[in-house]
Amino acid sequence: MKLLLPNRFKKYGIFMAPLGFCIWLAMQLGLTKKIILFFIRDGISAIHTINIIIAIVSFFSFLAGIYFLVFSKEKVEDEMIERTRLDSFQFAALVQIVCIIIGFLLMLIFEEPGEGRLMLFFILLLFIFWMCFIGRFNYIIHIRIKQLNGKYFEK
Amino acid sequence: MENTLKNERIRNEMTQVHLAGLVNVSRQTIISIESGRYVPSVLLALKIAKILKLQVEDLFIIEKSD
Repeated sequence: MKLLLPNRFKKYGIFMAPLGFCIWLAMQLGLTKKIILFFIRDGISAIHTINIIIAIVSFFSFLAGIYFLVFSKEKVEDEMIERTRLDSFQFAALVQIVCIIIGFLLMLIFEEPGEGRLMLFFILLLFIFWMCFIGRFNYIIHIRIKQLNGKYFEK
Repeated sequence: MENTLKNERIRNEMTQVHLAGLVNVSRQTIISIESGRYVPSVLLALKIAKILKLQVEDLFIIEKSD
């Protein structure tokens, strides 16, 4: 795949994705407001704007981190890695389809969800896809290969 | 698919790292091929066979179940 980023972007992604997510979650829980008020006691008028800026920056750094994690090359990029990447995409897509079916079945059985819940459901679906991909790909690359390294020593 | 890669590699006095370097793949790929967990592409199989001075069918043996 020619669109892959250099390997160094993976390191940026490891920091950016969880950090962005944690800050975004803190903003959703109202923790950032408390922190801002702690530092700027008379900044109540600007607090809404600052909160929105934090939300945008944290969410986009999370997305960029995910992008870096998923679309950056391994140290040695060979055909087995490419095959593993493809397998992981297929696995993630399968999990996502199962989640879509379960989600819509639950919507049919229980009450009709509001617009907000539906939006949250779709965001969650995207999140599930990328998390499944990252989890499976890294599991295969690192955990299984470590086991192989233990079993098959150099001659 | 069975393969005789490990035996042939040892017969040629090559390490996994050395062979991996010659065919531009990671050592893990060589390990996976040797253990039968991964079936290489035609291109990689040809490269390995060329380096070990063998025919591809001498290295990779197709089974009835394949």
